[in-house]
Amino acid sequence: MDVDPRLYELIAVNDNDIHNIVMSYLVHNCFKETVESFISCTGMKQPSDRLEDMETRKRIYQFALEGNALKAIELTEQLAANLLEKNKDLHFDLLSLYFVEQVCSRKCTEALEFAQMKLTPFGKEQKYVEKLEDFMALLAYEEPEKSPMFHLLSLEYRQHVADSLNRAILAHANHPTYTAMERLIQQTTVVRHCLNQERGKDGPHPFSLKDFLKS
Amino acid sequence: MGGVGDDEPASKRMKLSSEELRRLSNGSTLKEPIVGSSRDLMARPLQSEGGEEVVGSKGVIKKVEFVRIIAKALYSLGYIKSGAHLEEESGIALQSSIVNEFMRQILEGDWDESVVTLHNIGLTDEITIKSACFLILEQKFFEFLDEEKVMDALKTLRTEISPLCINHSRVRELSLFIVSPSCCFSVRSPKQDTSRARSRIELLEELQKLLPPTVMIPERRLEHLVEQALVLQRDACMFHNSLDKEMSLYADHQCARDQIPSSALQILQAHTDEIWSLQFSHNGKYLASSSNDCTAIIWEVDANGVSLKHKLSGHQKPVSSVSWSPNDHQLLTCGVEEVVRRWDVSSGECLHVYEKAGLGMVSCGWSPDGKWVFSGVNDKSISMWELDGKELECWKGQRTLKISDLEITSDGKQIISMCRETSILLLDREAKVERFIEEDQTITSFSLSRDNRFLLVNLLNQEIHLWNIEGDPKLVSEYRGHKRTRFLIRSCFGGLEQAFIASGSEDSLVYIWHRDTGELIESLPGHSGAVNCVGWNPANPQMLASASDDRTIRIWGLNNLSAKRKDTRSNGIHHCNGSS
Repeated sequence: MDVDPRLYELIAVNDNDIHNIVMSYLVHNCFKETVESFISCTGMKQPSDRLEDMETRKRIYQFALEGNALKAIELTEQLAANLLEKNKDLHFDLLSLYFVEQVCSRKCTEALEFAQMKLTPFGKEQKYVEKLEDFMALLAYEEPEKSPMFHLLSLEYRQHVADSLNRAILAHANHPTYTAMERLIQQTTVVRHCLNQERGKDGPHPFSLKDFLKS
Repeated sequence: MGGVGDDEPASKRMKLSSEELRRLSNGSTLKEPIVGSSRDLMARPLQSEGGEEVVGSKGVIKKVEFVRIIAKALYSLGYIKSGAHLEEESGIALQSSIVNEFMRQILEGDWDESVVTLHNIGLTDEITIKSACFLILEQKFFEFLDEEKVMDALKTLRTEISPLCINHSRVRELSLFIVSPSCCFSVRSPKQDTSRARSRIELLEELQKLLPPTVMIPERRLEHLVEQALVLQRDACMFHNSLDKEMSLYADHQCARDQIPSSALQILQAHTDEIWSLQFSHNGKYLASSSNDCTAIIWEVDANGVSLKHKLSGHQKPVSSVSWSPNDHQLLTCGVEEVVRRWDVSSGECLHVYEKAGLGMVSCGWSPDGKWVFSGVNDKSISMWELDGKELECWKGQRTLKISDLEITSDGKQIISMCRETSILLLDREAKVERFIEEDQTITSFSLSRDNRFLLVNLLNQEIHLWNIEGDPKLVSEYRGHKRTRFLIRSCFGGLEQAFIASGSEDSLVYIWHRDTGELIESLPGHSGAVNCVGWNPANPQMLASASDDRTIRIWGLNNLSAKRKDTRSNGIHHCNGSS
């Protein structure tokens, strides 16, 4: 039993709200030019401080995605001085990106030295030891792409780290770390799930975005 | 049954290494020329079907193997010359030359050469070869690290160890050592905790375990076989009940019956009614008995015998059970559906009374740390108290019956109690896991072995069952012979290493069985009423006590007359006697 679509008609949705949702998405993901064009089309107020911060964040994100971790770190430190100190997990992940790059370019000695200098200090805490083991294991194979830890070399991993960095920077500046759009979809899914659990077969099905967009 | 060619002079004997002999029987060609011609070989018949000589009366010992393990034993005892001489004289090499070469290379650290030799030894199993290579290369890796040659170690890891494609988790661990060669983070839980290379001898031993024994004979094999035989003899010895019976290699071990307590040394008469229960203290210095006459008695056990120490009065009802504190300083007694009393052993004073309004206690026991006591209550629950009487917990549930035995394992982890008429509950207190022993007959009582691994269960139908309670409970043995129809009869473990089972019986006899074989060893007459309970002194395997409806306790010990007797016979079986 799904929700009767006629019930939707009873809820009025404000245009301004929609604009804000779209804007939050664009700002979060640093689509600066799109933001400017969107503002001029809709006549919205320009979020003044956000534009510059978007530019910086975009560059940082790009560097992280490419695997150029040192540059990403440098810019982050400029933008938010002690952000990485407070986010040790993130710091480790960023450093690991550089390590992975060295490994991929088969620069073993450099990778080893870098690991000894920068990564092993994290090893004093138990939770980092396993992570460290994961990365060091890459060094053990002549073809790291074929090793059990190959996923650490992937684009998905770099994206994950870049995303975390982006959110951390937003959090640091007291901006929302999730876009409204993301939250809305998450909200619907969770609510549907709870109802499903409570009502069992009689309740609504779990939320599927794909199906929803098709209908 | 010696070899046919035994009376030939030594010079004519074929000298073949064991490896070559093996290759010969496999039909493959030899790499090296044999001394003498192949005609000589055909003239010498081989003994058994497998084409190998055997020794011993049963024809199951292969001569080549026998000589090789003797040679190995000689070497490990330090008799190098004798070992070498044996190899030469018998013509049977301890190890093929290639294996000797391999061992030398390992001890000298010629890793790459040893890996090559390994492939030539003639192993068939891929995995074994790879695992052995892994061990050798791992040693090479660690020795590089010890010498601070980090890049060499890394190279070994990358180009030699990883390509083996086995044991990836170990590869992971090794890669961590590269980045921190001196010592690993101390927070780590020790898995394989060698951050330094182990000794090459240890590596060799590890390889010996990995490679099949035909290639490299395991260390101390002969000693192991002899120990096996001795242990088997001792286990088969049904009357083995004395520590100072040493085992000798010269003759099979067999004790005489006179190690088992079978003679009534003392009769204790102090109770004025049926005696229902008794128990020795853990240190064997005291005995506690409880009776229908509403008292319990603490007896002292010393070199002169057993004497009365304290009579504990106070219960208004018959006392059904007693329980010693773990340190033997205190005693619990339980009146039938009445109260539990705690007594001080040295003064005989009653220190505390545990009761519950409107209810009666039916059993009692101590926690292993002596800090709290528990008792079964006749409303089918079990109560726990701190020593001062503060109630800690109360389990309700499937507890049953008025006669509810209760035991806690000495590590405090498991509680064992009656659950239904035909089943016993084993409750793991931490994991909250329940296991059950299910019987077909009603269970009347049970007792726990000292090592917490076994439970002795008395059944309504005159059988005693022994259950192994490690993991899933399994029935191990059954003991029969005694009589039980109307009353509660208890049985116990006892003797040296609890190798015996003793039980009371309604026919006034005390029954003793050998635990492993289940055979009835003794049935001791003497009492004139049903024997309700037996106890075996934990500190003196030759002292047994029995409690009876005839109001007496009998203390059983060795029959001293047989102590003087010595019996030796020519077939080599040596009878042990009680005197040392």
